[in-house]
Amino acid sequence: MYGSLIDALPEVLGLSNFLAVIVGVLAGIVVGALPGLSATMAISVLIPFTFAFEPLVALGLMAGIYNGAMYGGAIPAVLLRIPGTPAAVCTSFDGYPMAQKGEGGYALQIAVVSSAIGGIASALALMLLAPPLARVTLLFGPSEVFWVAVFGLSSIVFLLGGNPIKGLIAAAFGVFVSLVGSDTITGYDRFTFGRLEILDGINIVVLLVGLYALPPVIDLLEHPESPDASNTRKLATTSIWSRLPDMMGFWTTWLRGSIIGILVGILPGAGGSMAAFLSYNEARRASKNPENWGKGEPEGVAASETANNADTASALIPALTLGIPGTAVAAVMLGGLLIHGLQPGPMLFRDNPGIVFGFMWQFLFGAILLIFLGGSLATNSFAKVLLLPRPLLAAFIIVLMLIGTYAIHGRMFDVYLMLGFGVIGYGMDKLDYPLPPVVLGVILGGFAEENLRLALRIGRGDWSVLWANTTSQILIAVTIAIVVGPLVTRFLRKRKSARHA
Amino acid sequence: MKLTTVKAGLAALVLSTAPAFAEYPQRDIDLVVGFAAGGGTDVMARTVETYLEKHLGNGANIVVKNVPGASGQIGITEVAAAAPDGYTIGTYNLPGMMARTLDREPEYSADSFTFLANVVDDPNVIVTSKASGLESLDALIEKAKSETGAVTVSMSSLGGDDHLFLMKLGEKIGAEFTIVPFKGSAPARTALIGGHVDMAIVNVSEVANFADELNIIAVASEEESEYAPGTPTLKSLGVDIVNGARRGFVAPAGLPEEVETKLLEAFRQLENDEEFQAAMKETANPVDLTVGKDFRTLNDQQLELAKEVWEVSPWK
Repeated sequence: MYGSLIDALPEVLGLSNFLAVIVGVLAGIVVGALPGLSATMAISVLIPFTFAFEPLVALGLMAGIYNGAMYGGAIPAVLLRIPGTPAAVCTSFDGYPMAQKGEGGYALQIAVVSSAIGGIASALALMLLAPPLARVTLLFGPSEVFWVAVFGLSSIVFLLGGNPIKGLIAAAFGVFVSLVGSDTITGYDRFTFGRLEILDGINIVVLLVGLYALPPVIDLLEHPESPDASNTRKLATTSIWSRLPDMMGFWTTWLRGSIIGILVGILPGAGGSMAAFLSYNEARRASKNPENWGKGEPEGVAASETANNADTASALIPALTLGIPGTAVAAVMLGGLLIHGLQPGPMLFRDNPGIVFGFMWQFLFGAILLIFLGGSLATNSFAKVLLLPRPLLAAFIIVLMLIGTYAIHGRMFDVYLMLGFGVIGYGMDKLDYPLPPVVLGVILGGFAEENLRLALRIGRGDWSVLWANTTSQILIAVTIAIVVGPLVTRFLRKRKSARHA
Repeated sequence: MKLTTVKAGLAALVLSTAPAFAEYPQRDIDLVVGFAAGGGTDVMARTVETYLEKHLGNGANIVVKNVPGASGQIGITEVAAAAPDGYTIGTYNLPGMMARTLDREPEYSADSFTFLANVVDDPNVIVTSKASGLESLDALIEKAKSETGAVTVSMSSLGGDDHLFLMKLGEKIGAEFTIVPFKGSAPARTALIGGHVDMAIVNVSEVANFADELNIIAVASEEESEYAPGTPTLKSLGVDIVNGARRGFVAPAGLPEEVETKLLEAFRQLENDEEFQAAMKETANPVDLTVGKDFRTLNDQQLELAKEVWEVSPWK
């Protein structure tokens, strides 16, 4: 099963394929370092440009960007207390206080090493778990896939944040978007208004570019002055290797963060920000001196950054094996695979082992490269990205977005559609509606509907087909647990505190 | 016969004596592919492109232009509306393009095109899952007739070659199947391997690598297919159906005669081009050339078949 893993290695080490990973990591760090610009946005803007590349070059770029961006988000989080990506929020809790104490350089070094370790663990998980899981996926017929989608949708409860109503509205909007196009079973047109361009449904990349890229770009233009970057000048220039021994004490945090990140990645629905949050909380709970947390505890940076990189590769496990992408980034990457003729599912590992396993290696190398490319000197220069003139940057990104969207099918219709979604995204941003539920609604809503109907056809209209076998029953139980669990704990805690009072 | 000889002679005379009529092609030919890059039709088009250039000669250069969307409808509509000068040709799928004239209201019909050549004929195959225990056509027919919809069948979509074939099959053997239309043939095949459905209709090029995981029951071609050696034809088992997915090339209606002649000639030469045949085999494209008028006849037969099915059981 793992023999093909070794066979795929030489190809990955070829010049252009390896260079792609390096370029990807560098680009990812830069994108991640820019507040507002996320890995999702970078990959969705970039993907149309990779159509013409060899598969491994395109995939290497994506793997590199994903890893790089997850770390890059830490740079402004530490230096400015502005998380560069949503997943870096927890990094700012202790990273910024460290920077104020003049330890910003050390904080970033911890971030880069932790990110690399999380990324390596995740890549190894993908390599070891995906091939055997791919065999198990033959057990997943329409009714089982339906439950996986429902399970993913139910994990939206974690993403709702402060305002559940707004979160649910966002999710419902996503599900609505998934309905557009011809009905997958009967072929009836739904909400297409006679436009052939959306008969196949709304392209996820068009949606993501608009929703994720346009609002932050407008934000760059709304606040043209660069943020106060005085902390960037106080970065220590000690070599990263000489600081490594100091970090060895973090190994339990690294281990815990990696496991949390990997598990969160595998669950469809949750993403890097949730992984970082859980890992940060758990690390604080286990810490001997929890009172220091939030005041510049280096271990806090390590906890957050390990976990937000540890979900990168593992998020691809459901995408590659079941064809169900659990996160927006995984959805975009899956699109990238499909463009190169690679069908997810159990056959993927048999039909295209060179490319699939090569892609996994690229994730591993992307993570390792972080240490070299994101080392102290490099971090100093990446921090300078924050000083770039913002209007220039915004203009550059807009051009990329327009060309990229046009390139998907070579038509202006998609560009207008993208801009339309951009306006919606901007409005949602201003009104504090969360974006991740929209994406989950689009991806998983479509899956849930299609597979429910296929399952009912197989059962010839008998609904009991949905819980007829063990796999389905397990999935149902897990889904109920995930929805009811938090409610029960909240109820118990309330009763406990009531009794104490 | 005599008339065509005279015509050809005249054409040759005109071409040789009048340099004002520059020889086709003078510039790049756009080849509109109605599907995304990397898909089956795209790979077929790009393989044919190289050899078509060679046989057109005259430094011909064909540029593939992917116009995906609406299962090829956007691309083929663009071809139908293009200037009939030979500088726009397009890929054409059967029975899909004709079935769309029934279940949608497209801005084209069979008369919108000059039929150049059908190149690929990928016959339907009946496959069953190992779990179903159905190992022969007889066993399959027996179960299918035992109860309405007793056999669940996965396929790529409604209104495609697999659907029309299944309806025909049901009519011939007097049974009704439970149709489970997936999004594409790969997931339909995976569901079958997993045993979630009893049977699937796919195309022979799609099962070549799966002989161990499925039972290949019969192939709907005239002769045994090299992609499924040892599999009996449906005809030989007493069910007279020949059907498959066909992929070819059309141009807008009203091509200048010398352009049409030249294109048809170039397509005809593919027949004996061994390099081309090998390249098509490499990309799992079963070749069966049908050129010019014969292609139009084939098209009309397919439209007739689609109509029969549509009238009895419209899928939309």
